[in-house]
Amino acid sequence: MIKASHLSVRLSGTQVLHGVSIEAAAGQLTAIVGPNGSGKTTSLKAIAGELPYAGTVHINGHDIKTLKPWELALKRAVLPQSTVISFPFTVREIVRMGLSVGAKADAEETDRIASDALEAVDLSGFAGRFYQELSGGEQQRVQLARALCQIWEPVGYGEPAFLLLDEPVSSLDIRHQLTIMRLARNFCERGGGVIAIMHDLNLTAMFADRMIMMKAGRVHATGHPNEVMTNAVMEAVFGCAMRVNATPGGNIPFVLPHTAA
Amino acid sequence: MHRSEMVAGDGRSQSFAARLKSEWHMGDRSRLAQLLILVLLVAAAAMFAASIMTGAADASLGNVLRWLLGMEGAEQALSVRDRIIILDIRLPRAVLGMLVGASLAVSGAVMQGLFRNPLADPGLVGVSSGASLGAVLLIVLGSSFFGPLFAIFGFYALPVAAFCGGLITTLLLYKIATRSGQTSVATMLLAGIALGALAGAVTGVLIFMADDKQLRDLTFWGLGSLAGANWMKILSAGPIILVSLAVVPFLARGLNALTLGEAAAFHMGIPVQRLKNIAIVSVAASTGASVAVSGGIGFVGIVVPHVLRMLIGPDHRYLLPASALLGGTLLIFADMIARTIVPPAELPIGIITAFAGAPFFLWILLRGRAHMGL
Repeated sequence: MIKASHLSVRLSGTQVLHGVSIEAAAGQLTAIVGPNGSGKTTSLKAIAGELPYAGTVHINGHDIKTLKPWELALKRAVLPQSTVISFPFTVREIVRMGLSVGAKADAEETDRIASDALEAVDLSGFAGRFYQELSGGEQQRVQLARALCQIWEPVGYGEPAFLLLDEPVSSLDIRHQLTIMRLARNFCERGGGVIAIMHDLNLTAMFADRMIMMKAGRVHATGHPNEVMTNAVMEAVFGCAMRVNATPGGNIPFVLPHTAA
Repeated sequence: MHRSEMVAGDGRSQSFAARLKSEWHMGDRSRLAQLLILVLLVAAAAMFAASIMTGAADASLGNVLRWLLGMEGAEQALSVRDRIIILDIRLPRAVLGMLVGASLAVSGAVMQGLFRNPLADPGLVGVSSGASLGAVLLIVLGSSFFGPLFAIFGFYALPVAAFCGGLITTLLLYKIATRSGQTSVATMLLAGIALGALAGAVTGVLIFMADDKQLRDLTFWGLGSLAGANWMKILSAGPIILVSLAVVPFLARGLNALTLGEAAAFHMGIPVQRLKNIAIVSVAASTGASVAVSGGIGFVGIVVPHVLRMLIGPDHRYLLPASALLGGTLLIFADMIARTIVPPAELPIGIITAFAGAPFFLWILLRGRAHMGL
């Protein structure tokens, strides 16, 4: 369980978050959505522990301010939006960096985890490629494999681990969007937890258990996608009137930009 | 029997090469790196021996070794003059070359890891100028201002002063060039030039104030040379260099993670602030100690790690020890050229490293523009 309470963050003099409270349970995919600049990434960075903030963040009951970096690294892994590097590392070397945290098994075991992680993000056969020569979407999937290696067991050391994903599918083609969302779901089903910042509302509605809608540094609405994705919320948050529909069989809400007034 | 053995032998040697090749294709360069470190170790030893034997006085390796090991009959083979030349001139010079070369190359590699940029180098971004300023301050204002420093540190005073100069420059540079965990290449290089120029200007004022004896001491810093090598210098700078080299292997994993950015390194469990502090102090200490004994020798710190990254990749667990070995070997080699190319005179070694290093640096720039965001 990740429990962030009353987070407030100031970045270079501007109040970016105004008392944001976010909860994410193990076994659930929690999606944070909202317009550009609504504080999604800042919230995730505060939860990851990389920003100074007012308020509290607890992971599995531990205040993250009391945990050492390596202790934190065993409880959560983070996928940033994009990562540019200036040294010619291979894909394999990058993915294995995730494995060097914590006490991991022998060399063969780590090799197996690294190649399984690459397979999970559909990059088998990319191990020997240079990271800098990959496309943006491929680089993002390498980073996800690296983060996965860090908490390879969704329930490790007797407690659930969490994946914090900042726009995990934003630069992916539609097939790989599905691959990665299924991977995140699967991580939840095996007992871990996921917090993902999403822009694609329809994909979010398909995969998320809970949706946190943010606006201007505050949480505007929280709940199951069915409850959050309503005509009223769309207009209030995004400032454009759109009709929310539901798929015939599954009752999954979706919006089409075509319906915008 | 004979035939089958040969086949088996062939098969083994081929399978090792084949293994290296298949690992390379899988993106695994660790065995290759270990092999290279072994080769560099041998090369360093060979260069060290060659350096002791090279020069006007003739001394064969066998005789020198036998004499140094105190074996019978070696006394007669070497004249007293030869023995003095070897023990008090060539040996300290080779040892100092190895220490300073290793320190320059490793400082370069650590600084590049810290700034996440292959162009960072203590010589290039003003850290060496800062260290020189520290040393010059001590020489010129010496006894009147820094009496206590001499009292406390004795003959370590000069390396310590250079260390302080280097540390202040590095800290300033890091503060200026890094904003919210991201280091700007352009800011770093430009700020480095400005800081270097500032340190140079202050050094200029001090030189203007210096008397004749101090001037003779000072000209030495402008060029960089191993010519004054003696056991005293090794005793004063050696321990500082060795300690900062000994710390560096513990930074390797952190520097690897730092490649992905400060936030990502923190996410992976690295205590980033502590890593940066240790890296900055160790770079400043080894640069300061090197500058104090040999002046500013340029480009070793940028060329050596770059060549090694092309061969074995940027993994700091292998890059750092390999840099130490190759840096030491190349500096001894450059020194051999410096003292034999215009006999009986001697070129300052900084000229040799600049002639070899500057074109190489330009080549890196042109080749890597796309990747380095220039």
